[in-house]
Amino acid sequence: MKTINCKVLVLGAGPGGYVAAIRAGQLGLDTVIVDGQAPGGTCLNVGCIPSKALIHAADEFEKSMHFTGENVLGISVRAPSIDLSKTIEWKDSIVKRLNSGVAGLLKKNKAQLVKGWGKMVDGKTCLVATDEGDVTIKAENVILATGSVPVEIPSLPFGGNIISSTEALSLDGVPEKLVVIGGGYIGLELGTAYAKMGAKVTVVEAAERILPQYDADLSKPIMASLKDLGIEVLLNTKAKAANEDGTALTVETTDGDKTLEASKILVTVGRRAKTEGFGLEELDLTMNGRVVAINDKCETSMTGVYAIGDLTGEPMLAHRAMAQGEMVAEIISGMNRTFDKVSIPAVCFTDPEIVTAGLSPEEAEAAGYETKIGVFPFAANGRAMTMEAETGFVRIVARKDNHLVLGIQAVGKGVAELSAAFSLALEMGACLEDVAGTIHAHPTQSEGFQEAALKALGHALHI
Amino acid sequence: MVPPVLVKKGHKMSDTFDVVVIGAGPGGYVAAIRAAQLGLKTACIEKRETLGGTCLNVGCMPSKALLHASHLYDEANHDFEKFGLSVKGLDYDIEKVLATKDETVKGLTGGIEFLFKKNKVEWIKGAGKFTGKDTIEVALNEGGSRTITAKNTIIATGSDVANLPGVEIDEKTIVSSTGALELNPVPKSMVVIGGGVIGLELGSVWRRFGSEVTVVEFMDQVLPGMDMEVRKNFGRMLKKQGMTLKLSSKVTAVEKTGKGAKVTFEPVKGGDATTLEVDVVLVSIGRRPYTDGLGLETIGVEMDERSRIKIGHDFSTNVPGVYAIGDVVEGPMLAHKAEDEGVAAAENIAGLTGYVNHDVIPGVVYTYPEVASVGKTEEELKEAGVAYNAGKFPFTANSRAKANLATDGFVKILADKETDRVLGVHIIGADAGNMIAQAATAMEFGASAEDIALTCHAHPTETEAMKEAALAVHKRTIHM
Ligand SMILES: Cc1cc2nc3c(=O)[nH]c(=O)nc-3n(C[C@H](O)[C@H](O)[C@H](O)COP(=O)(O)OP(=O)(O)OC[C@H]3O[C@@H](n4cnc5c(N)ncnc54)[C@H](O)[C@@H]3O)c2cc1C
Ligand SMILES: Cc1cc2nc3c(=O)[nH]c(=O)nc-3n(C[C@H](O)[C@H](O)[C@H](O)COP(=O)(O)OP(=O)(O)OC[C@H]3O[C@@H](n4cnc5c(N)ncnc54)[C@H](O)[C@@H]3O)c2cc1C
Repeated sequence: MKTINCKVLVLGAGPGGYVAAIRAGQLGLDTVIVDGQAPGGTCLNVGCIPSKALIHAADEFEKSMHFTGENVLGISVRAPSIDLSKTIEWKDSIVKRLNSGVAGLLKKNKAQLVKGWGKMVDGKTCLVATDEGDVTIKAENVILATGSVPVEIPSLPFGGNIISSTEALSLDGVPEKLVVIGGGYIGLELGTAYAKMGAKVTVVEAAERILPQYDADLSKPIMASLKDLGIEVLLNTKAKAANEDGTALTVETTDGDKTLEASKILVTVGRRAKTEGFGLEELDLTMNGRVVAINDKCETSMTGVYAIGDLTGEPMLAHRAMAQGEMVAEIISGMNRTFDKVSIPAVCFTDPEIVTAGLSPEEAEAAGYETKIGVFPFAANGRAMTMEAETGFVRIVARKDNHLVLGIQAVGKGVAELSAAFSLALEMGACLEDVAGTIHAHPTQSEGFQEAALKALGHALHI
Repeated sequence: MVPPVLVKKGHKMSDTFDVVVIGAGPGGYVAAIRAAQLGLKTACIEKRETLGGTCLNVGCMPSKALLHASHLYDEANHDFEKFGLSVKGLDYDIEKVLATKDETVKGLTGGIEFLFKKNKVEWIKGAGKFTGKDTIEVALNEGGSRTITAKNTIIATGSDVANLPGVEIDEKTIVSSTGALELNPVPKSMVVIGGGVIGLELGSVWRRFGSEVTVVEFMDQVLPGMDMEVRKNFGRMLKKQGMTLKLSSKVTAVEKTGKGAKVTFEPVKGGDATTLEVDVVLVSIGRRPYTDGLGLETIGVEMDERSRIKIGHDFSTNVPGVYAIGDVVEGPMLAHKAEDEGVAAAENIAGLTGYVNHDVIPGVVYTYPEVASVGKTEEELKEAGVAYNAGKFPFTANSRAKANLATDGFVKILADKETDRVLGVHIIGADAGNMIAQAATAMEFGASAEDIALTCHAHPTETEAMKEAALAVHKRTIHM
């Protein structure tokens, strides 16, 4: 059997793993990275990127639909149509380009990519089943980055019409009736996209409101827009079982059981760390509930074994995985690094979008802070007016005593691109005065950030 | 500080104010609101029938409304196909496009009127003129005049279109930016004289609606004053979009004809002249500070060699109690610069310390893609002899840009070679305008490129290109 010896082995080539491998390669560490699928992980293959591509296409389609009726912009079109197979083809072409892009980056940085499913034999050895037979990889350091998989509902196993986000990104046509189980961000992003493309969408959510991880002020504009899109949202409702061919779903509502017709049933009730199938049990690492326990250097309970990304739990976000990957490579190369991000921004790509960075008002309060909060609505922002994007607001949460900014949230069209300014302000330890005193370009939505700070200080200019 | 003065609606108002602001553009109206917030009895003199100055009436806002509408049309026209979308019978109704723009302007200017009421700023409708250091005579729009006494005055009279000598702007065939916001019907062909921000934005609007647009620019690249690499690349993108650029060319004659106008231009270095006959000519060669009829000579306010009012750090002029802000003073002619100066001037008058950091004023061009920059250009750094590292990252390697089919452009960060402090950031990109806020925040904090690189950037967003550019400063990009 072939044996490869190396300094660093990365198991899993998602955003956590491939970034770790690239960085390790840059630092001159002899690095091998293993994945059974095309490099890029969940994120590039069946997650962030394909979902955002579909969302973008759906947005464009909705725009053109908007032009078929009376519209203030005076643009008109006749009967636009969407050929989903062509859209999916376009999306697949992006994914393919990104896959080969990642492969190219690994190569450029001299990290060897081994294609196959790996199994840890011990803390330094991995057995990989490749097309050319088994390969043993021996490494001084191991970075586990096996990511996560969709959570299944036991009574609704995946298969046929019951699909996960993965299949939802490759449908061959727009389903007539789409039932989405789970009103978290993945379900709502995809549900919104399909509704825009013409599907009749119903969202089934067990909790009393959608997007339970966000506060009600943030989720309210989303709820309103779902309604505008004709999406039916059933709250306090539990999915029970589907009929044989998956064309009907029984749900338990507060007033008894109900049956929903469905062409597809999309289950998006969360993701769980992928902890099986790669020999994790052999390593006997300390767990933190269902995920691998790590410290602020991403070290596990076994020396020389690190874990990053979704495998280590929430927040399950690609940029957290990447930041961890980068850091671990640096630690292995001898640098002194710890993971001490003040802010890991989270974006929900619904319409409007939600951005959160740092602490929410409730979290700040729970952490024992007395707060000052400033909210500035986009309805009073000139740029938003010219872009027909007046829904939503920017909110800033600061300490009452010294005005240190603790958190920033926004909901609105295109606010994803404001997230970096929010994060940077938090990382630099900005006070309200700092944000208020930074000149923001006019007319941009980012002026809402400055105004929210002014509002918290008691002297907003434009409301 | 002076205690707040309550002004009741309908009562005869007194004619002595703590602060009188002349001009209700973004500089003036913001100064007035801030002064009133600080408890000063404030009036704002504005001769236009609506508040908001150039910016809201004939500048930033109406141009952005047209840019938005025309961009949507352009996108439907050219990009939808690639996503698997097909549209038939795509068309636009220019009447409606213009009407919507007017509605937006109305909403915005009305909004300022509301803010004045809310903050108890009195709007005196008319043209103001100094008759003494602290007396201003207002020629009221409704007729007659009113003389008011001001303990402090803030001059915020802004700027006006600069014209080419010998060319008469009729706002129909030969237009300034103001007329270019009202073109109906859409001209079949158009010459834009001056490839600066305003010319390129408005040129883009009409190009998207089908006009054949030729830009004649004196300098060797468009967007004079911006970073050269940005200018070169951006010029190329405009050409790809179908705009014709005549660079290093100077206009020698503009002549009205029966149907339109003839524009003659020749290479700056000398050579054969070219004449184009087009429907509309847009003169966008810049703006000049506007102080006409203000009576500045009466009170002896000092001006600089470019007819701008001279000010100190606190925005005071040489005449005690008289301040000046915005387009009428030095610095970039930008609305947000005017606004922040307005806030600072009001605060200084109220006894606080108002300050504007003129080294960190972002600028945005709202074309597609957008261009945004803050801080120093490479050329400026070279000229100042500052050693720097440049880090650049293209949007072709950014996954959100890929998913949005918006891969034109890049982020470039210039950082001090020794300290790594960020000295300038230049972006060409679909959402560059929003992204520049982060760069400005970073520069206000004296951040290093490493600070940006260590900040967690959400995936997938275009802002990740900022992080990568920061990594590129240290030659260690991940995604390239
Ligand atoms: C529909 C959807 C949309 C999303 N949108 C966003 C978003 O907008 N923003 C965001 O930040 N996050 C988003 N996420 C989450 C994001 O995709 C994950 O947080 C991220 O991919 C986690 O990275 P990772 O490297 O930890 O793991 P993963 O990306 O899951 O990669 C793990 C890799 O390990 C490989 N692997 C597993 N076991 C083995 C083995 N035994 N041998 C070899 N290889 C193995 C897998 O094949 C996989 O390629 C989304 C997820 C989904 C499903
Ligand atoms: C087409 C165009 C697009 C632009 N786009 C942008 C952009 O996207 N972003 C940006 O930042 N900037 C933009 N600008 C520039 C921006 O409009 C100006 O920088 C800004 O308006 C300057 O503000 P100000 O308050 O100094 O003066 P102004 O806005 O010019 O306001 C001055 C006001 O004073 C009044 N006034 C003058 N004299 C008197 C008097 N004697 N008595 C009473 N009233 C008087 C005038 O009527 C006017 O309303 C644009 C400009 C144009 C023309």
